[in-house]
This record gives sequence, C-alpha cells and structure tokens, in this order.
Amino acid sequence: MSQHEHDHPHAEIGQSERPGYYDMMETAVRELLIEKGLFEAGEIRRQIEVLDSRTPALGAKVVARAWVDADFRARLLANGRTACEELGISFYDDTQLIVLENTAEVHNLIVCTLCSCYPRPVLGLPPDWYKLKPYRARAVSEPRAVLAEFGTHIPDDVEVRVSDSTALVRYLVLPRRPDGTAGYSEEQLAGLVTRDAMIGVIPVTAGEAGVSR
Amino acid sequence: MSQTENLLKRLPNDIGGLPAEPIQRVDHELEPWEKRCHALADVLDFHKILNTEEKRRGVEALGSEMIGKLTYYERWIAAFANILFQKGILTPTELARKMDEVAARWGDEPPHPPA
Amino acid sequence: MSGIVLATGEAPPFRRGDRVRVMTRAPVGHYRVPTYLRGKSAVVERVIEPAAIDNEEEAYGRNAGSKRHYYRIIVPMTSIWPNYAGSARDDLRIEVFETWLERIAS
Repeated sequence: MSQHEHDHPHAEIGQSERPGYYDMMETAVRELLIEKGLFEAGEIRRQIEVLDSRTPALGAKVVARAWVDADFRARLLANGRTACEELGISFYDDTQLIVLENTAEVHNLIVCTLCSCYPRPVLGLPPDWYKLKPYRARAVSEPRAVLAEFGTHIPDDVEVRVSDSTALVRYLVLPRRPDGTAGYSEEQLAGLVTRDAMIGVIPVTAGEAGVSR
Repeated sequence: MSQTENLLKRLPNDIGGLPAEPIQRVDHELEPWEKRCHALADVLDFHKILNTEEKRRGVEALGSEMIGKLTYYERWIAAFANILFQKGILTPTELARKMDEVAARWGDEPPHPPA
Repeated sequence: MSGIVLATGEAPPFRRGDRVRVMTRAPVGHYRVPTYLRGKSAVVERVIEPAAIDNEEEAYGRNAGSKRHYYRIIVPMTSIWPNYAGSARDDLRIEVFETWLERIAS
C-alpha cells in the first residue's frame, strides 16, 4: 500500500516485480472506486491495520481471563462479544460471538462448511486448511476422524459438538485449562493457548511454546 | 428427470458431508494484494456497497470451474468485479482500461491490445 | 405490559427446547442451509437476538425490510449421517433462519 499522501497512483512501494493479474485487478477496482468517491484510500489502509492487529493472541487473552476469573467466564459464555469488548477487543463487523466451553463431558469443534466464517475480530484470519474442502467437508460428518488427524483423541463417553457457522454468529472454543498450571499467571496461561485449540482441533497443553498457532 | 438439476440445486460450496481427502495443515502468509483485497471487502461491506452475503453469492456464482481453479482471494476480486458491474457502479470497459493503466506502470505492454 | 402490540417478526415463534424440522425446499441461486440439513428434526438450543434480515435475501442486496429470528438448533449426528462413526451423543449445532423451520407437534 502506498505510503504517500498525494493522490496520483503509482506502483506499490515494496513491489519489485510485475504484479499478477488478480493483484492488478484489485488495484484497478480499488482505485476506480476511490476515484468515484465511494470511499477513501485511508479507509483501506486503516482496515489493513485493523486486520493486522487481530491475532490469536487476543483470543488467548480471553481464554486465560476466563480460566482465572469465574465471573468473566460466566459473562463470556452469556455473551461472547460483549465480554471480548470488556477486554478492549472491538468487533468491527456485525457478527455475534458464542463461546463454546469444553468440559469433561463435551468437546467443541467449529467449522464453516459453506464458506469460511471464522471469529476474525478475536482470532485474526483463518488458516488455509480451515477454508479448504477436506476440513469443511469432513468436520461435520466425521469430526472424530478429523480430530484424530490433528492428533486429538476424544473418548467415546465425551460428546463431540460441531458448530457450523452460517449467518451472524461466530464461534470460539474455550478449551479446558490443562493440568499442572495451577501456579501460572494469566500471561503464562495465555501463552499456552493456540489458535488451533480455539478452533477446537487440539487441546491446550502445559509447557507449549508461547507462540499462538 | 433432468440429470443436470443437481448442478443447480446443490451450490458448489455446499460441501458439508461430501467425501474428501485427509486434511493437510497448509497455510500461507497473505500477500499484500490479498490483504488489500480483504480490507476492500470489509470497507465495501461497511459502506453497504457490497455486503458480505452478496460477496458469498458472487463467489458461488463464479461456478464450479472457477471456484476450483482460482485461489480464495482471486475468487473474491473476480466476484467483486461482477457484482459491481451488476450494480452499475463499474463497467467492464472501465475496469479493463484501468487494468491496462495499472499494467503500464510496470513498463510492460498492456496484457491485451489497446481498444 | 398491556396494550403493547408487537410488530411482525418481533416475537420469535420458536423457543429454546422446541422441536422443529428443517424444511426440504431446494432453492437455486443462493442458500445458507446446507443440503445435509434439509428435512432433519432438531431441537432449538437458543433464539439468536435480535431479529435480523434474511441472509439469503441480503445476498441479492436487500439490506433492510422485515426481520425474523435465527435459531441455533441441535441435530444428532446419527440422524444426519447414515453410518456415523462416533458417539450416539455427538451432535451438530447450526444457525438457521426462521423461514426454514417448521414446528414438530409434540
């Protein structure tokens, strides 16, 4: 994206080779719409910053807070969006958030079979595998086999619940707090929580590296 | 009974429960244009110029072949172009000329002969 | 409060615990109810508030107008997939617009 404030367009800064066909189509569409006054260039720049600021670290904070604060957990389960907003995680769209609590009896998994609905305001953008056919086709019909491919084995006496997003509601899995973390700070707990655990394909384990996946 | 009616009755994206391969845990860092494309979708939705559901329908309307062969954000930008044409916000000629102009910034010949 | 008249669509006809069936119509053009769900019986887990635009019409640019509710419904996996390989207690939960649901008499 251009760093300059003047209006005449030129090649995108940082690009050293000719853009591909679709890249040029995006540039052309965007510039035409800006020329027609439908929105301003600054809005695109701003939204890129918004998107860049949304990462799984936000979701990890929400999870860690829910683990240490029972009242917050209750508010989170009652209204995911407003609880996130308490932590400063604004929602830049009209979606709602339902947080799905994993327990000893229930394991939750989220998917969007029809497209790629995902709790972007609190997790950032979804990984490619979440948007591709194998996951979308099979998570609803053979969730336990899908989980096994991620190395996750759910006992038969634990109910697996798959939530398929189709409309206004987005989902976030609240994973179970792992054993052996009793003395951990909230920050240390957040460091254990990965993106994939908040999708529901893997559990949270103690001793994981701090980078959210 | 028409043999092709299922092509109409089942959207190409309606794949829940269909047989599929093992999951490959692939991911990639978004290219700058893909991120701009995503931001464009959000800004268009915010302004109610092209809402998210319209975008979904627009991608579906590309049809199976394009859906299978274009990548995720390539499908978005193609869908945007089509919907903006339908709404009379852009014309195909305008977009084609602008794309030529963008290509010319790289000092190359336009991708197709000038009009 | 007496004297209050609710607008069309304000009061959700289905409530948590109601038994409903997903209709079997087959739209062309655009839909948001997957084929795998058509005709299935379900239980309403919750009503999504507030009432909202039908997203299948929103897809054609209809940004305003009469609103109805979405419902998060519960469907047992074994009732969707003939050879479901998992626990009989596993279920699928999905958000469905009001015009896709009909009440099952209990």
